[in-house]
Amino acid sequence: MRFLTLVLRSLFRSKRRTFLTVLSLSVSVFLIALLQSLLGTMDALTTSTGSGTRFVVQDKASFTNVIPQAYTNFLRQQPEVERFTVLQWFGGEYKDPKNFFANFGVDPESYLQVYREEANLPSIPLEQVRDFLRDGNGCMVGRALADKFGWKVGDVVPLKSSIFNLTVRLNIRIIFAGLRKSDEMVLAFNIKQLQEAVPWMKGRVGAITVRAKNPADIPRLCERIDHHFANSAQETLSITENAFNLNMMKLLGDYSTMVHSISAAVLVAILIVTANTMAMAIRERTTQISTMRALGFRSGQILSLLMAEGLLLSLLGSGLGIALAMGVASAAAKVAGQIIPWMADFIITPETLLLCVLITLALGLLSTFIPAYRASRRPITEGLRAL
Amino acid sequence: MDDVSVRLRNLAKSYWRGSLEIPVLTGIDLEIPRGGYYALMGPSGSGKTTLLNLIAGIDRPSGGELEVCGHSLNGLNDDELAGWRSRNVGFIFQNYNLVPVLNAYENVELPLLLQDLGRAERRERVLHALSLVNLTDRMRNYPRQLSGGQEQRVAIARAIVHDPELIVADEPTGALDAKNAEEALILLEHLNQELGKTIVLVTHDPKAASHARFQIHLEKGVLDRTVEVHDRPVLPRLLT
Ligand SMILES: Nc1ncnc2c1ncn2[C@@H]1O[C@H](COP(=O)(O)OP(=O)(O)OP(=O)(O)O)[C@@H](O)[C@H]1O
Ligand SMILES: [Mg+2]
Repeated sequence: MRFLTLVLRSLFRSKRRTFLTVLSLSVSVFLIALLQSLLGTMDALTTSTGSGTRFVVQDKASFTNVIPQAYTNFLRQQPEVERFTVLQWFGGEYKDPKNFFANFGVDPESYLQVYREEANLPSIPLEQVRDFLRDGNGCMVGRALADKFGWKVGDVVPLKSSIFNLTVRLNIRIIFAGLRKSDEMVLAFNIKQLQEAVPWMKGRVGAITVRAKNPADIPRLCERIDHHFANSAQETLSITENAFNLNMMKLLGDYSTMVHSISAAVLVAILIVTANTMAMAIRERTTQISTMRALGFRSGQILSLLMAEGLLLSLLGSGLGIALAMGVASAAAKVAGQIIPWMADFIITPETLLLCVLITLALGLLSTFIPAYRASRRPITEGLRAL
Repeated sequence: MDDVSVRLRNLAKSYWRGSLEIPVLTGIDLEIPRGGYYALMGPSGSGKTTLLNLIAGIDRPSGGELEVCGHSLNGLNDDELAGWRSRNVGFIFQNYNLVPVLNAYENVELPLLLQDLGRAERRERVLHALSLVNLTDRMRNYPRQLSGGQEQRVAIARAIVHDPELIVADEPTGALDAKNAEEALILLEHLNQELGKTIVLVTHDPKAASHARFQIHLEKGVLDRTVEVHDRPVLPRLLT
């Protein structure tokens, strides 16, 4: 502790260099923290609680086509099926096209069951559930979505869809608090409204979401269903929700490999920068180090002092980087969360923070150790001569 | 207690260039009594710095015996040697070698940080050392805010703050002008006469060497002769 002054002053001896190094360190930590968190958020999305036991039955040619609702009759006969619900993407706009959010026509009762984790069914007041099931014009919305537009239970929400050339006026009956914010950015209403108003929707649905009793049965079930409808007018394609989400993600490229390789490249670059800074900072002090050793400082003490300096440098960098990342993350969750639903869940997890701190600690140790070790073992007379 | 500070027996130092041995010092026998003031002289490359470094324990001999301040240095490992230096040797360099990020006070305090001393005790000793070199009023200045002469005086304070028996100085006046050089030499002489420090001074300058009581002449790595100085300059009293 009595050497703290020396370590601190040495670190800030060349203010500009230290500042630039801290800055590049923090930018890297910032990048890595954001990239890793993005990855984590996407991963969490594709492996949500209920999604492991669900799969989606849709038209084989295109998921925008509708399929007969009568297909559910076959599903009802399958012993592995626990429950299913039907959905239709509505694509409705609230007041302004900019106010985009996900909205579906659904079968209310089965929808609540199939998505019970996402909607946190046990937490919804019973009278709200009852009202939603009774009111043909009722709808349920997530808390985050309701907050965004200032909706309350009982409010009327007009939704205009250009797909169906139809405007529905919905009464909010349920506002649910989901486990994740991204699950709350959704509105669901009775699909009957669509089927009655739109001629080509009669007896038809966009997709059927099936919940299996046991996830292990899903592949077999999917195969049986698709095989059964193979010779009908409309063939089906059954895929798990995870696979469905993953397919979406795959569109963005192999994101996890990409994120990891970018992170690695950033790390290597910053390792070189820090190693260079420390090597320079130590080399210019050759005489000083030899002088201190002549005065009686042991090699080990010199090594510790230099390592402390390197560690402090990287801690400063990671601290600043993490602060930066946290700031940007919360801003991103607020702003982007309104456009891309899953961005609402964007946070930097403690694990990611820990990872960043550990990485920078390792970086600091690694980049300092070699020049510091060499400087601390160099013959004193040689160092004193090097002027 | 032994009244000999430095005792060298058949001391030798060689450098190796590949398999080629380059002898720098050979067969050095020397005794410097406690409280002695010796100047090491000789042409450039004769081995003065090498010999001083061996005496101060920052270099290892290739052969011979080395006993300084009552310790045989031959058997000590690097850490033990460092500890020995921190207790027994004060260093003065040609280029002062102050730590640029520490102010005068902190530079002088540096050797004390290696000892088990409380802050108050350290402070007392640092202030005492600074007053000996008459720099108490400059103690918050950083080296770049001091003149060369002042820097060297801070270095002298640093060399005595831990009360070592031996002070080694390699060309301490080499970078100073005549007036500051004279001041530094007078200080050294006081340390010798009034505090009883053993001083080994390496110098080219006959005037500087005239402050010592004995002059040792090195010639190509061998001790040539030792002469006593009779007409030393008269000292004004400085220390009490
Ligand atoms: N690390 C080394 N490797 C090889 N030779 C060395 C090394 N260090 C010193 N020498 C040689 O040892 C000899 C004595 O060097 P030293 O520095 O002791 O001389 P010096 O008397 O102090 O000279 P000067 O008056 O110029 O300071 C020189 O010939 C020098 O070249
Ligand atoms: Mg020399």
